[in-house]
Amino acid sequence: MEAQLQELAQAIIDGQRKTAVELTNKLLEAGATPKTILEKGLIAGMNVVGVRFKGGEYFVPEVLVSARSMKACMEILKPLLAQGNVESRGTVVLGTVSGDLHDIGKNLVSMMAEGAGLRVIDLGVDVTADKFVQAAKEHDADVIAMSALLTTTMIYIPKVIDALAEESLRDKVKIIVGGAPVTQEWATSIGADGYAPDAASAVDVLLDLVQQRRASR
Amino acid sequence: MPSQVRMLLHELAARGHRVPIGTDLILREKPDSEEILYHADRLGAVIIEAAGKYKTPLGLPLMDLTVEKQAMLTALGIPPSEAQTFHFSVDSLPEPGALAEFLAGFRPETDQRMTAQAHAIRYVAANSDLLPVGMAIGPFSLMTKLLAEPITPVYTAGTGATAAEDEEVALLEAVLDLSLGILLKYVAFQIEHGARAMIICEPAANRVFLSPKQMEKGSDIFDRYVLRPNRQLRSLMAARGVELILHDCGELTDEMLRQLVTLEPAMLSLGSSRLLWEDAAIVPREIVLFGNLPTKKFYSDDLVTVADVERMVCELESRMRSVGHPFILGSECDVLSVAGAEAIIRAKVDTMLTCRCH
Repeated sequence: MEAQLQELAQAIIDGQRKTAVELTNKLLEAGATPKTILEKGLIAGMNVVGVRFKGGEYFVPEVLVSARSMKACMEILKPLLAQGNVESRGTVVLGTVSGDLHDIGKNLVSMMAEGAGLRVIDLGVDVTADKFVQAAKEHDADVIAMSALLTTTMIYIPKVIDALAEESLRDKVKIIVGGAPVTQEWATSIGADGYAPDAASAVDVLLDLVQQRRASR
Repeated sequence: MPSQVRMLLHELAARGHRVPIGTDLILREKPDSEEILYHADRLGAVIIEAAGKYKTPLGLPLMDLTVEKQAMLTALGIPPSEAQTFHFSVDSLPEPGALAEFLAGFRPETDQRMTAQAHAIRYVAANSDLLPVGMAIGPFSLMTKLLAEPITPVYTAGTGATAAEDEEVALLEAVLDLSLGILLKYVAFQIEHGARAMIICEPAANRVFLSPKQMEKGSDIFDRYVLRPNRQLRSLMAARGVELILHDCGELTDEMLRQLVTLEPAMLSLGSSRLLWEDAAIVPREIVLFGNLPTKKFYSDDLVTVADVERMVCELESRMRSVGHPFILGSECDVLSVAGAEAIIRAKVDTMLTCRCH
């Protein structure tokens, strides 16, 4: 079974969606638990993808095909994981802010965060402050992740932070921001808890923020 | 024999000309800027005013890359309020016959924004000595706006899968053809109204949408999906004596740049991720290099100060002089007006235009 799990991880690394789905089904038939397949196959594979992306060996297209392969496998595993009460590593509410329709970076973060075992509530693009606030409440979010590609739309991010404060949620949820014009300095200046320059780094920051949030409960 | 437009651009380069793509900044100073977008003469007047402010002989239009998608979808009957978020899917794409019929019947003059843009060019030609320049998004970039997730099908095609084998590749290619069809008409429309050069913007032709790894392994995706449709636009322009100004502010690999220059633009405008003095080794001297101050960061003094702008201007001009490549100093992209940061953006653009390097 170990060999098949490694094959699955490799299929994810190579973005071989059909092979990954076949292996996932075979592993389930062979008695592997969904949790084992998730952790030793899918997450293990996506971890390698993340490392290669950070190292400049992989580019966005490679990451996307790997993430889509993982997503296809997750469609099989999700109901089984829910039945087995397998907890996610944390909940992230994610979206591109109001006025901004760009979603490549946001989608990458979404898929890689799922690949790291996080539960992702993807609100899509052009997301208003109200929607972020509602989703944070509804899903008991650990982290709100906001993306903006344009200088003209990034200025909406502080408005979401203000809206969270007005609802007395600011201390209950961590905030990470990203997108082409966003920098660490700017993120700090608006009171965000985290910033990441790319999707792979975002996953590391998300996991760290989830831990911080849970430790402070 | 170089065209008059090429000669003008080379003359400007030799004179150390500086100019931002900054018509939006001037437009947004107007209280009714949104209305002006639909009013050809007023839009033309803004282009002339911007050129006056920037002391340039180039009549640079707005770089609004939402116009074409909106026009196409409106013509297809998609409500305007849904157009910017609309994406074609395997199920929603009309049949090939219906698409061909749609393209045959598409007329830019029925779209208000396209009409305003083209008639503004005519206004510039009639009311100034500026070089009337048109503007359009490139076919590849338009295609990426029309699909929810265009990267994977491009990658899949790069693995060798054909449209007959993969429905997402088929969708990508159909939407690319549709994009090209619309753009051929829109570019022709602007030329008919007096454009003597066309800025074609292909910001999505970059290493996010196209895998450098696949290209290294010999895939022809860049040629197939970026260059081939642009070659058709280029041919249309060449047949009518109009020069291409190619803009790509995306992150490019050297190989992508090598391939882009085969389109033989009169001027090539690149993003701030490129080092233009190094790119001069790749780009033939017949092509004027334009750019590439990081104007997307001008809105924040934390990111770029006025002093930084002065330093960057001087470094860029000095290095470009050393390599001896024809060069016009400019912005990396359209300098957008950012609410609340108008004054600091303007100060940096002013510095870019006026600072003296010793």
